[in-house]
Amino acid sequence: MLIAVSQPQKKTTKKISERQRALEQLQAQKDLLDLAQKAARAMAFDWYIQQEINTWSPQQEELYGLAPGTFDGTYESWKRLVHPKDWPLVVEALRHAQETGDIAVEYRVVWPDGTTHWLAANGQMFFDSEGKPFRMVGFTADVTARKVVEEKLQRSAAFLTQAQHLSSTGSFAWRASTSDQFAWSDELYRIFDLDRTTPITIEHIRARVHPDDVKLFDKTIDEARATGSDFELQHRLLMPDNSIKYLRVVAQAIHDHDGQLEYIAAVQDITERHLSEGAIDKARSELAHVTRVMSLGALTASIAHEVNQPLSGIITNASTCLRMLDAEPPNVDGARETTRRTIRDAHRASDVITRLRALFGHKNAIAESVDLNEITYEVIALLRNELQRNHVKVQFEVTSDLPPVTADRIQLQQVILNLVQNASDAMAGVHDRPKQLVIKTERDESDGVRLSVQDCGAGVEPDTIEKLFQPFFTTKSNGMGIGLSVSRSIIDSHHGRLWAAPNEGPGATFSFFIPPSKGELEE
Amino acid sequence: MAKRPLISVVDDDESVRESLPDLIREFGYEAHAFSSADEFLESDLVEQTNCLILDVAMPGRTGPELQRELTLRRQEIPIIFITAGRDDMVRPRLLARGAVECLFKPFGELDLLRALQTALGVS
Repeated sequence: MLIAVSQPQKKTTKKISERQRALEQLQAQKDLLDLAQKAARAMAFDWYIQQEINTWSPQQEELYGLAPGTFDGTYESWKRLVHPKDWPLVVEALRHAQETGDIAVEYRVVWPDGTTHWLAANGQMFFDSEGKPFRMVGFTADVTARKVVEEKLQRSAAFLTQAQHLSSTGSFAWRASTSDQFAWSDELYRIFDLDRTTPITIEHIRARVHPDDVKLFDKTIDEARATGSDFELQHRLLMPDNSIKYLRVVAQAIHDHDGQLEYIAAVQDITERHLSEGAIDKARSELAHVTRVMSLGALTASIAHEVNQPLSGIITNASTCLRMLDAEPPNVDGARETTRRTIRDAHRASDVITRLRALFGHKNAIAESVDLNEITYEVIALLRNELQRNHVKVQFEVTSDLPPVTADRIQLQQVILNLVQNASDAMAGVHDRPKQLVIKTERDESDGVRLSVQDCGAGVEPDTIEKLFQPFFTTKSNGMGIGLSVSRSIIDSHHGRLWAAPNEGPGATFSFFIPPSKGELEE
Repeated sequence: MAKRPLISVVDDDESVRESLPDLIREFGYEAHAFSSADEFLESDLVEQTNCLILDVAMPGRTGPELQRELTLRRQEIPIIFITAGRDDMVRPRLLARGAVECLFKPFGELDLLRALQTALGVS
């Protein structure tokens, strides 16, 4: 009996312990589920669609801002909780789920306190034997934080697009190491006038590069691939309509997780700037020309006035003299007196020229310590665009550690500018060889400094060399023959020397020497 | 013997003051030179002057200013302007204001003689 009794008891005990174990397992699974829900910040739902039984965990209710146990599980109640604008999205997702069995939708819910939260629901729909949906199981997660970031990202992407458009700057990422993968911004497509769907390859880009810049382009690309270092490049595009665009590319090399080389680059369309720089240069050279013409005009007027006064005297006196000699009897004493005055007035005219020359050479000379290299660099920088335009290549051979000289900085720069401009002008007609201009600074044996400007232009005849330094002597159709004469008087006032010599090859070399500092400039 | 016409020269430039009267005398006229407009106005020769040779640009009162002053004083003296600045705009302006002639320095003696003859009404 005992045994008989004990049997079922044992059975019962066994059953109880099985149930206990099952319960424990269930609890363990529930704990696991809770943990998973917590970890994923996603809460489960189980919806028996036909019976309108929608079982929400308290955490699920929390996602909707509801107190635990207050959700009645009806479709209508759920609908009321979803943001009206997003409800159609949910409906569409449910319709889609009926076809595929999968549901994935993101929508806003409005909490009782009025705040809006983003939820993402992912789940599975099950169907009965008739193919009607009867149950949907899944998880809902609060994705508000992600949505906020996404919106920010979208906004900043929109800003970036707008900024790129406004500044005509495109950008690209280029995986240079592997198979030339490019990611282009919209603006870059616009700059290149390529369709947004075009897959970009180096060849696509290269086809747009101006033929004269292809070499430079290839070299830059090859170097970038080989060295993996940052690069900058300015080149032109030749567009299908034959217009030219000027681009500036600044690329930075980075390496991704796999150590693959990738360039992140900005490409700016600087066509307008380039054109306006060209316009500024043109305006500047026109202004310089106008200034030159103006000062020539003013100078001519001044010379005319100063010289015409004594000339007037000369002519009047000579006329009088002739009349006196023609008289009967001749007035010899009168004639002698007027001739004397004629000579005096002629000297006056000559003095005017001398004064004029002096005026140019000694205008408010300021003595300061001058670094010849530095002021030469400044002049070259000043003339860079003009020289580039004239296709003149400047080679500056600097002797470092030159002793400083006492000089008028501006006046010396006028001399250097004049010599460089003359050299450039002298090579205007050169087409069969590079227009090479060599500027050299040297230390003289006496510790003075020397600068020479060597061109490969038309050159000078040995017997006209000295004439070059005379005022109003010019070999240029548009020159007035003042530059070298003034330059020489400037160098003279610095106790130096300015001279010219023909080259062994084509062209001439103009040089000046400034002695070591002694102090005062000659006034 | 009829009195010879008096030609007054007003010019701040000394070489003109020295040379021009001699030439004018060679033409057969009387001549007197003044270094400024005021020197001429203050002299007692204004009323006797038959023709005035007047420099345009002078320190103090300029040539055209002297011309205006003479008009105000109702001294109708024929005026020949002379100028060293070759401004083509000056000549028509001066002629329009009643000048007989405007000569640019340096001028030839025949141009001067012709202008003087016009001013004095001699053909």
